[in-house]
Amino acid sequence: MRTVKAPNDMSEILNTLTESIKAGKRKDAKAATEQALSENIDPQQILAALTMGMDDVGRRFKANEIFVPEVLVAARSMKSSMELLEPVLAESGYTPDHTVIIGTVEGDLHDIGKNLVAMMLKGANFSVVDLGTNVGAQAFVEAAQTHKASLIGLSALLTTTMTAMREAVALFREQGLAAKVMIGGAPITEQFAQDIGADGYATDAASSVDLARSLVA
Amino acid sequence: MNGPGQTQPDYGLLACDVFADELVALGGESPPWRALTFLEMGLHDHPDQLRQQVQSSIAELEATPGISRIVLAYGLCGNGLLGVRAGRVPLVIPRAHDCIAMLLGSAARRQALMRDVPGGYFYSPGWIRGGRVPGPERDAYLRDLFQERYPDDPELVEDLLEADRDTFSHYHTALYVDVTQDDGARNKCQQCARSLSWSFRMLEGDPAWLRDLIWGQWDAERFLTVPPGASIALDGEALIAR
Repeated sequence: MRTVKAPNDMSEILNTLTESIKAGKRKDAKAATEQALSENIDPQQILAALTMGMDDVGRRFKANEIFVPEVLVAARSMKSSMELLEPVLAESGYTPDHTVIIGTVEGDLHDIGKNLVAMMLKGANFSVVDLGTNVGAQAFVEAAQTHKASLIGLSALLTTTMTAMREAVALFREQGLAAKVMIGGAPITEQFAQDIGADGYATDAASSVDLARSLVA
Repeated sequence: MNGPGQTQPDYGLLACDVFADELVALGGESPPWRALTFLEMGLHDHPDQLRQQVQSSIAELEATPGISRIVLAYGLCGNGLLGVRAGRVPLVIPRAHDCIAMLLGSAARRQALMRDVPGGYFYSPGWIRGGRVPGPERDAYLRDLFQERYPDDPELVEDLLEADRDTFSHYHTALYVDVTQDDGARNKCQQCARSLSWSFRMLEGDPAWLRDLIWGQWDAERFLTVPPGASIALDGEALIAR
């Protein structure tokens, strides 16, 4: 038995959810997600509300209006909502078409950006295999082969570890990996991406989703 | 070429505030620069802002009479220096990734430390003075800031502070590098390490690179000179003028 929710109530719940993500209020986000699910709101619409909240957070961070911890609490809120939402999404047949392997390159322990990208990609219906930090090039190759990945995402925060990114891409090419390679991180530039033969580069977590979609299209 | 005992200072020095103590110490009583501009530290977190501020400071320094060169006490700094253009006069910049390499005296030493102590977080007297490095002063600063921003939500403030501490959870050692024998800063760094339950390691700083930067010993191996009209660029891993 499925009751259809009046549009006003529905948009109110989804709006509350988006606002909770933006404010980084994990409990509120969880409660709004639970309510949305119990009201049988389309899980893809719930996901869109979450993503809208995170997009806004990303935009404000880029404009220096908020700090890293504010992005992180928002991300944690989204994560706790996603944990509730994922099984429902899977049940409704919303299953990922593509797998992406992601990690920070060898020598780099900075994973804030990588974690955000991983979550945004998850939200965009990619299956994400997160190898964590300080990941050797060979580990990316093996994971890409094991999981038949369409995409590999490499992250580096330091100019000193960008060399590892170059070496990783070179190894992927040498091994003839089919997966496309996208790179990102504060010091990364379009020019650098071209120089090392990556397939694409994104300036922030939100645009990494557009890039990922275009690379697997 | 300039050097100790030179006649007339003829360059403008544009420096990150993180080097203030070191540059003043190395410059001595009659420093070799004609004009000195400091920009706030930490701008490498926002490379576009850093680039913009460096570029406009170059324009201001160039307008100073008697300036025939601008020396940058900067490295790549999150690639914030890439694309910076020399105007009327040449630029000189160390071929360094960041201030830590300069304080350690060489890029190779910095790379070796990164490799040997991957969980090491670098501190210097300048960074200690700035009060934004991991430790009690950063906590206090962020607590004030978030309390002001979210006055009605103490729970969120605690969440935010915890999230900030989490961003440093991969580190386990405070690597302190100093060329000025600043005991006060060293003590503070030890306090930072204690408050985070990290170990503390004192690294002997090597002032040679910074000293040679300000005293005009600009060999091509350690320094890039960018002629008027050209910009700072990367060719592979090497800093070049283009």
